[in-house]
Order: sequence, then C-alpha cells, then structure tokens
Amino acid sequence: MIPAIMFYVFAALAVAGGVMVISARNPVHSVLFLIMVFFNAAGLFLLLGAEFLAMVLVIVYVGAVAVLFLFVVMMLDINFLKFREGFLQYLPIGALVGLVLLVELVMVFGSWAFAPEIAAGLAAPTPDAQTMNNTEALGRVLYTQYLYLFQAAGVILLVAMIGTILLTLRQRPGVRKQVVADQLARSAKDTLEVRKIPSGGGI
Amino acid sequence: MEMPNLSLALPELLLVLGAMALLMLGAFRKDDATRTVSLLSVALLGFVALMVWGLGGERATTFGGMFVIDGFARFAKVLILAASALAITMSVGWLEREKLSRFEYPLLMLFATLGMMMMVSANDFIALYVGLELQSLSLYVLAAYQRDSVKATEAGLKYFVLGALASGMLLYGASLIYGFAGTTGFTQLSQVFHAAHGQPHAGVIIGVVFVLAGLAFKVGAVPFHMWTPDVYEGSPTPVTAFFSAAPKIAALALLTRVMLGPFGELFAQWQQIVILISIASMVLGAFAAINQTNIKRLMAYSSIGNVGYALIGVAAGSEEGVRGLLIYLAIYLFMTVGTFAVILSMRQKGRLLEGIDDLAGLSRSQPMMALALAIFMFSLAGIPPLAGFFGKFYIFLAAVNGGLFTLAVLGVLTSVVSAYYYLRIVKVMYFDDPVESFDRPVSRALGLIMAGSAAVVVLLTIVPAPLVAGAQEAAKSLFPTG
Amino acid sequence: MVYIAIVFLPLLGAIVAGLFGRWVGDRGAQILTTSLIGVSAMLSVPVFIKIALGGGTAVVPLMHWISSGTFDVSWALKIDTLTAVMLIVVNWVSFMVHVYSIGYMHHDTSIARFQSYLSLFTFFMLMLVTSDNLVQLFFGWEGVGLASYLLIGFWYEKPSANAAAIKAFVVNRVGDFGFALGIFGVYYLFDSVQFDVIFAAGPEKADAVVTFFGTDWHALTIISLLLFVGAMGKSAQLGLHTWLPDAMEGPTPVSALIHAATMVTAGVFMVARMSPLFEYSETALTVVTIVGASTAIFAATVGCVQNDIKRIIAYSTCSQLGYMFFAIGVSAYEAAIFHLMTHAFFKALLFLGAGSVIHAMSDEQDIRRMGGIWRHIKWTYALMLVGSVALAGIPPFAGFYSKHMILEAAYASQGAAGTYAFWMGTLAAFLTAFYSTRLLVLTFHGKPRANEHVMAHVHESPMVMIGPLVVLAVGAVLAGLVAKGWFIGDFREAFWGDAIVVLAGHDTIEAAHHLPGWVGMLGTTVAVAGIGTGVLLYVFAPGVPGLLASLFGPIYRFFLNKWYFDELYGMLFVKPAFALGRGLWKSGDGAVIDGIGPDGVASASRDIARRLGRMQTGYLYHYAFAMLIGVASFVTWFIIRMG
Repeated sequence: MIPAIMFYVFAALAVAGGVMVISARNPVHSVLFLIMVFFNAAGLFLLLGAEFLAMVLVIVYVGAVAVLFLFVVMMLDINFLKFREGFLQYLPIGALVGLVLLVELVMVFGSWAFAPEIAAGLAAPTPDAQTMNNTEALGRVLYTQYLYLFQAAGVILLVAMIGTILLTLRQRPGVRKQVVADQLARSAKDTLEVRKIPSGGGI
Repeated sequence: MEMPNLSLALPELLLVLGAMALLMLGAFRKDDATRTVSLLSVALLGFVALMVWGLGGERATTFGGMFVIDGFARFAKVLILAASALAITMSVGWLEREKLSRFEYPLLMLFATLGMMMMVSANDFIALYVGLELQSLSLYVLAAYQRDSVKATEAGLKYFVLGALASGMLLYGASLIYGFAGTTGFTQLSQVFHAAHGQPHAGVIIGVVFVLAGLAFKVGAVPFHMWTPDVYEGSPTPVTAFFSAAPKIAALALLTRVMLGPFGELFAQWQQIVILISIASMVLGAFAAINQTNIKRLMAYSSIGNVGYALIGVAAGSEEGVRGLLIYLAIYLFMTVGTFAVILSMRQKGRLLEGIDDLAGLSRSQPMMALALAIFMFSLAGIPPLAGFFGKFYIFLAAVNGGLFTLAVLGVLTSVVSAYYYLRIVKVMYFDDPVESFDRPVSRALGLIMAGSAAVVVLLTIVPAPLVAGAQEAAKSLFPTG
Repeated sequence: MVYIAIVFLPLLGAIVAGLFGRWVGDRGAQILTTSLIGVSAMLSVPVFIKIALGGGTAVVPLMHWISSGTFDVSWALKIDTLTAVMLIVVNWVSFMVHVYSIGYMHHDTSIARFQSYLSLFTFFMLMLVTSDNLVQLFFGWEGVGLASYLLIGFWYEKPSANAAAIKAFVVNRVGDFGFALGIFGVYYLFDSVQFDVIFAAGPEKADAVVTFFGTDWHALTIISLLLFVGAMGKSAQLGLHTWLPDAMEGPTPVSALIHAATMVTAGVFMVARMSPLFEYSETALTVVTIVGASTAIFAATVGCVQNDIKRIIAYSTCSQLGYMFFAIGVSAYEAAIFHLMTHAFFKALLFLGAGSVIHAMSDEQDIRRMGGIWRHIKWTYALMLVGSVALAGIPPFAGFYSKHMILEAAYASQGAAGTYAFWMGTLAAFLTAFYSTRLLVLTFHGKPRANEHVMAHVHESPMVMIGPLVVLAVGAVLAGLVAKGWFIGDFREAFWGDAIVVLAGHDTIEAAHHLPGWVGMLGTTVAVAGIGTGVLLYVFAPGVPGLLASLFGPIYRFFLNKWYFDELYGMLFVKPAFALGRGLWKSGDGAVIDGIGPDGVASASRDIARRLGRMQTGYLYHYAFAMLIGVASFVTWFIIRMG
C-alpha cells in the first residue's frame, strides 16, 4: 500500500516537473525543476530496490550535471525569451503529434505482456537482495559480462574529452601561466644578487 | 564467466590502442604533429584493414555474444576502413592550407571509425548503441571542427541536437523491444520472434518503428534526412567527404544487420516502412537537388537519393538484395570520395570554392580533373557502362526478383531525374565559358585519389566479378540457413 | 591475338593521346593514333581473307564480366563474315579520317584531344561490331554514343555545337531506351543474351507469345520492334532523325567518320546481326521496310533544297540509311550490308571532299556563296565528282551495284510494303542524282559568288588531305565491282556462312536475279534523268529553280523546313516545357532544357525542387518536427493496419 502511494507521488511529481521544465519562463527555474525531476526519478529507483542507481542519479545528475547547467545558464547572458518566440506557433502541431503518439502507445500498452517464457531465461537475473546488495551485483557483471560495453563507454568519454578540448581550448599568445616546475627549479642564486651598497651612495 | 575471446576483436583492439598511442604522440610532441599523426593513422587503418581481411569471414561471437564477426561485417569493415583512410589522406593538405592543423583531427576520425566497426559488429542493442554513440560523438565534434566559422558550428550544433533526438528514439524503441521480448541480444531476439511465428505483440512493432527511425536518421533517409544538406554544406569540406562515405556505409550495414537479423522474422511487418522510406528518399534526392547551386549541398541530396537506392536492397530482404546493397556501397564509396577529391581541389587564389558555376570550362583549364569528375558524374547518374550502372543494376535486379516492381520502376524513373543534375555538372565543365581557372598544381594526394577512384570506377565496369563474388559471400553470412 | 590487337590498339592510342597528350605533344599524338589505327586497318585485311573468304567464325574469350543467377555475360570477340566486313570498313575509313585530320585540324588548339576522341570512338565501334552478346554490343553502342557526343560538341565554344551535342545525346537516349528494353525482352524470352544461344533457340521460340495488358503478343515481334527503335535512334530514321543534321556542327572529319560511314550504320549492323530473330516476325520486317522507305524519300526531298553543303550530305546519309533498312525489311540483308560498305566509302569521300572545299573557302559552308572554284581545286573537284556519281548510282561506280540490288530485291519481295519501298526508293534515287548534281554545280561551276577576299584565298588542300580522298575514291569506284560476287552474287552463300539467316521463302536476292529487264534499267534511267534535270536546271536555266521555288512555295518551304519535324517536336515537347519553366532558367541553360524538354518533365521537376527547397528552412525545430511527424505517422500507419 505505502509503496504504491509513494510510486504515484514520485511519478506524478516527476511528470509535473518535466512539464514545468519546458514551460517555465525563467531558465533558472527550468533547471531547478529539472533537479526536482531527478530527485523523483531517484525515488522511483529506490522503490524498485535499485539503491545504487538512485544514489548515482543524485550524485551525478543533481550534483554535477544540473549544477553545471545552472552555471551555464547564469553565465551566458542569453535572451531565452527570444528562443521561445516560435513556441506557441508550433504548439498546436506539436501537441497534436504528441497526443496521437500518446493515444497509440496507450492502446498498445493496454495489453502489456512481458513475454513469460523469457523471464526465466534472462541473461542476468537480478540476484536476491537478501544475499547480495545491489552495488555488488552490478559490480559482478560490469567487469565480466559487460566488459565490452564498459570499455567502449570509456572510449566514448575519452572522445568527449578530446572533443571538448578541441572545440574550446584556445592558446592565446602572451598569457602568463603559472609553471610550478619552473618556480621550484629556480634557486636563489639565479634571481638574487647581493650587493654591498655604501651608505649614502647610489648603485 | 569465461574469458572473452579477444582475438576476434583484435582489429578493434589494435585500432583503439593505436589511436591512444597516437594521442600520446600528439600531446607530447612539442611541434605540430598533425602530419605525422595523420600519416600514421592512415598506416594504422591500412594495417587494421589487412587484419580484418585476414581474420576471415567465419561467423563467431565473443564478449558474451555482444560482438559478432562474419563475412558481412568483414566486407563492411574493409569498406569503412578504406573510406576513412582516404578521408584522412584528403584532409592533410586542407588542414595545412587553412592553418587549422590540430593533431586531434585524424584521431577523431580514428575513433569514429572504431565506432563504425563496433556498429557493424554489434550483436546486441546495447553494443549497437555504444558503437553508434562513439561514432556520432566523434562526428559531431568533426562537424564543428572549424570552430571560428559560424556555418560549421551551426552544422555541428544541428547535427548534435537532432542526433540526440534520433538516439533517443532509438533507445526508446530498444527499451520497448526489451520490455516485450525480455532481451537485447540479437541472437535471442531472433529466437523469440521465431517462436512467436512472426506475429509478435504490437509493442514490439512500435519498438521496431522507433529503432528504424533512429537508424534512418543515421543513414540520412527521408523523413529523417533534414540535417544532411545543412551539415554537408556547413561542415569543413574534408569532413563532409568523410561523412558522405564511411558513416553511410556503417549505418546502412548496421541497419541491414538489425533488420534482417533479429527482426528478420518480422520482415512482413517492417518491409513496407522500408519501402516507403526508400521511395521518399529516392524522390526527394532526385528532385530537391535540381535547384542547388552549391556542390556540397548537391552531394548531400545525392547521398539521400543513393541511400534510397541502397534501401531497396534491404526492402528486398533477400540474399540477392544484400549483395546488391554491398556492391552499391562499394561503388558509391569510390564515386563519392573521388568527387570530393575534386571539390577539395576547387581552390582559387587560395580560397576553397563550392559553387557549381565555378566549374565552368574546367575541361579546358584542367582536362584531367574534368574527365575524372565527368566519370564520377556519369557513374552516379547510372549511365552504362560505368560502375554506377552496375550498382543500380544489381539493386534493381534484386527488387524485381523480390517482386518489388513498383520500387524498381520508381528507382529507374528517379535515376533519370537525377541524371539531369549530374549531367548538368558535366555540361558546365565541358560546354560553359571558362571562368577563372583553379589554382595549380592540385595536391599530389588529391590527384592520386581522383585518378585512383576514377580508375576503380572504370575498372569495376570491366572486371566486376571479384566485387560481386565478395559481396555474394558476405551477403550469404546474413542468411545462415539458406 | 590478331583480333585482340585490332580492337584494342585504337584504345591504346586514345588513352595515350588523351591522358598523356601534354607529354607526347600534338604531333606525337597524331602520329601515334594514326599509326595504331593504321596497324589495325592492315591487320583487318588478313582477317577478312581468313574469315570471310576462307569461311568460318572465330570467338576469342577475353574475360568473365557479369554473373548473376542465369544472367551470365563474358567479354568475348566474335568474328564472322559480318564482323570482318565491318572491320574493314571501320578501320579503313577511320584510318583515312585520322590521316585527313592531321591536315584539317592543323589550326586547332586541342589536336591531341581530337585524335584521342577519334581513336576512342573507333575502339567503341570495333567493340560494337565484334561483340558476341547483346550486353557487350550495348556497351559499344553507348560508347560510340558518348564519343559522338564529345566530338559533336568538340568546339564547345560554339553554343550551337553544345545544343547539337545534347540533342544528339538525348534523342539517342530515346532510342537506347527501346534497345535496352529489347535486350531485357531477349533475356526474358531466351534466358541468355549470348548470340549463339539466342540464334540457336530462335526457331523454337518463333511462336512464343507474351501476355500483357491482357492480350497475347507475338514475343519476337515485340522484341524485334524494340530493338529496331534502338536502331532508329542511332541510324537517324524518320522520327528520331532530327539530331543527325544538327550533328554537322562537329568538325568535318567527325561527320565523315561517325555520321556517315560508321556509327550511323551501327543500327543497320545490329538489325542484320539479329536477322535470326527478325526473320520470324513479318510484322517487324514490314515496319522496318516502311520506316526505311519513308526515311529514304523524306530525306531525299529535304536534301534537294538545303543550302549548307554538309547538311545536304547529311540528309543524303539519312536517305541512304533508309535504303539499307528497307533492304533489311525485305530480307535482303546482304544487299543492306553491301550498300553499307559502298556507302561508307563514297559518303566518307564526299564528306572529306566537302571538308576540303570548306577548308579552301575559308570555312564557308553555304553553297549559295560558292561557285566557280573547280579550276582552283581540281583534285577536290575530281574526287567529289567520283563520290557524287557513285552516290547517284551510275555504273560502274560502287553505289550502282548496291543500290540497284536493293531496289530489285524490294521489287522481288512482292508484298505491299516491298512495292511501296520500290517506288519510293526509285523516286529517291532520282532525287539523289538531282541533289548530287545540284551540289556539284552550285559549288564548283558558274560564276564565283563568294567575295574577292575569299576567292583570292582559294587553294588546294595539302597532300595529307588529298591522299585519303584518293584512297576512298578508289574504294568508291572499285568496291562494288570487286565485291559484288561475294556480297550478292554467286559466291554469297559461301561468303556469308552463318552470319546472316534468311528463311526459305524470303530469299529476295535470289528472286531479284530473275526479274524483268525494265526493273534493272529503271534505277539507272532515273539516276541519269536526275543528273540531266540537275544540269538542265542549274547550268542552262539557273533562273528556273528560283521560279519553281516561288511557284510551289508551300511545298518548297515544307521541304526547306525539313517537313517541320523540329517545329513539331518543339511544339509538342519543348515549348510546353519552356512555357512553364520560363523565368526560372538562366538563358545559358536553355540548351539543356531543349534537350531534356522532350520528356516533358523538366519544368515540373524544377517546381517540385523549389517546393522541396522551401521545406529546408534551416530551423532546427522544423527538422525535429519533421522527424517526430515521420515517426508518428509510421506508428499510426501500423496501428491502423493492425486494426
């Protein structure tokens, strides 16, 4: 009973938050609503017993991605209202397309059937939560069964890194940078000169 | 859990390790390492291609059935590697002339190529998605490579946003399929649908539609083609050259594998969708190109039309159809790479030109270049006896034998329409008054690629047998039982 | 090996001259291409002796080409008598034209390119005549079309040359479409495109039918007619002839080689080659007869009133091709090929002679501005005279034997079509003699009508141009007399072997040997009468032609405007396209729409193109919308389909 109520609360808030993300006038509010969606999604994960995913969602998406968004939105002084000019113009068509899709999907999912004979033979059935916690279970398959995907995801991140550097890093001439090694390598001998100065006289 | 058989993925492993080694080389060299890295990249790609060929075409899977190699993957990979190597070769001169040398450029192409190889070898929806994203991410960055050009950044952004949307559709479709079938592995899916006697739940079909939409975006088929002209025009020309060959081949090969592999049992359901997409692409590719004045945009529409023809091979759903598709792709590769080599040589007073009118009178100032471009255009138009004709011929043959007469007839009609704009280029080159001539000399690499591609296009006419036999063998591997 | 050398030496020349023209130089390209063709020409003589006179067929497989299911094609050379004859004609005329071009083109700036194209053309033509299957023949067929396109448009700075090149290309595509369908038909019916297989299976398929539109059609008739449409395009038969006169925009040696001696006869060759199929379709043969005879008379009437020296000869070519076709239509294939050969010699002679005249007259082509020059260019005059007499059909010149054989065969074939062909052919023979005389008189005799400046420059052409003319003239004089025994005379059965198949009841050539005497006399009589009329009108009463022209104004204008074919096509196809597309096109592209217009889609295509262009707005959300609508409509389609 209680999990069911929780589910509907989380789900309703998540959907409402999603609507607010695209309809809020102030982009900062949009991002804040996005954070709300993330939190509710994390709640849904918790209900499913996937506590690791729930925590990752909070830490990565809320803690890093959404905050990054906030920074970007605040630092780039873009007139977002201008972006939204065409919004109303296309709203009817968009709503129509969305509605059609929604009706169709509801029709289809009305007769949901998770192929019963498959459930038994799943490649990696979720282990019993009593014997093994969620994080450990993920860890067991991540580096064995899904080694290929794990490594490939690593390469994707590498490409993302290269791409970011390539597109944004600019080396301007004349910029002074701190080079720690150079600073450490300097000795007093190179820079200091002790001179005797007779009192009363100039150098 | 046994150790995965790494030897099957040796080419991919070598490619990723080589790319990382080159990354280190580029990062730690003091001077500009672009040329060195590019040359080494080409060598690496060549070596990997040899290795792929050497591994043979026996069907085998590894990494828990997520990665498959077979004759089909081998054929497609060799084409992809060749296309990438040619694209990098074409880029070097451009990078140096435009003073845009960054060693990351060839590396991104290497990573994109790696993604493509993973795509054609994918035997699981997650593997498919990971390969696809690796490829796409590299391509987004490449499209925006010329970061000080408004056009290029706009192209990169458009490609990225729409690509994300397409990925979303693909993922949504894949999750629907997982929800209804309980697995993401291609082999298992095929068994599930076989057990359902080709009459699966409606949700699966919806999933297939979404997956198809996502893949159609990647190949640039109507109505998911809208990015193509803008991205082709906006991206730096060597990047466009790359876009037009390797990713098309990879995405089409992937689409073929997905449709005929796990969804092979659902052929009756998706066939009509593919037919619709194919017709729409052929028609749009033929008509929309007529008004273009920018040759890169023209090639974009040309690529849309060509994807339409290639999809006929998928719609036929037979071994013959796949063979036609592979032949078509192989020939298309050389035609398009050659054409872009010519476009990259359209340089006047150091500036790169893109107008069709700029080609006027080329037959006078640079007869060899004009001849090469004329060969490519005649071939793209499918005028016998050039190789492009055979590509279309085998495709249409499969369509007719598969009972798809409408598709074959429409294909012939649209190729007549498209012949018009291809021949217009020939007309401009040969019969219009010369304008100012292009800079000479044409760089040696571009000249070689032009001549080589033209030679291949002509030679494939005369000795198509090895290509046909190779494609036949590759196509057979998708239809294990018969 | 000899066979391979004959076919591929010209290709070698073309490649070297075309690709390395800059290194070998103009002179080098000329010497190289000419000598390679020369070798081919020399080699084809022993081949002719061995194959045609010795009897037999040689097949040289080269390599495997296309293989798909039962569709199997290889590159191979098949040399039988028909091919051997064509080898002689093509190689020798081409050789002569190569030599002649050295002199004719010496002012030009792209000599290497020109020689390369000529050699390339020769290669494709040889490929066409030596092929052993329909697909390879089609390869050569398209190749000569391409070479012709390049050569007509050789002087691309002239807009008229561009327009003519594109017109030739497009009109030929119409014919090629028929030809390609014919090849499909053959493959559909016989499961092969190999000549040997088709011909062997011909008799058993004689009564095969195909069903479409709910009716049974005689299969071989359909196939033969489709193939004939291809032949009509290439050989400029009535309806698809409009490109040939315009093709005279190309350099004169090209007109001689391609548009007189070789390429335009490819249609005749192809139909003769396919004789084992045509023989089984009376309907197809009748159509061929009627189209051929109509072309013969049509082109002859037009030829009588043209004023451009090259166009007169072009219409004459068209007319003579008509003769060849109706000869085929009455199953006198041997006579058609015989005429093809003799015609190649005297028509090439006439064209090259005309080129020599044009050369002498400082590029003047209008015969109304010539006259009185025979004293200055005696050699050219004498050689043109030989060519004209041979064309008119005066014994013992070559044209006499072949043309009379055709007329007699037409008479001997009895049927209505044959009778029509006989009378049209006889009338055309009269007109041929008449316009040949008119051409000679107006060009060479009377008072000079050119200005003094031009007249002062009239000079005989150099030896390098006269030499080939002399060789061709020898052919024009002797070819008929020497070869008639083999081609149409007593030795013809041994000579032709299996190359041509004539059914038992169709042997009109045999029948032609037993005709009443007046039939044989008639041809010569009308030829003499034609010459007489010409001399009378243009030498003794130069005022009369003008009088006649004004008296019979409508008819004169009808002929002068080539029976209004161009105008008709313009009205039917080109005008509507223009009207719709006006304002969209830049003027420079007019030439293209002129060519594309005939299939009527050009303007509609552009309209669609503009609409599609407008869809490409450049706005990201439009694109995203298009994708979403696309996916939504696909899903909807499924839901509806599944109910």
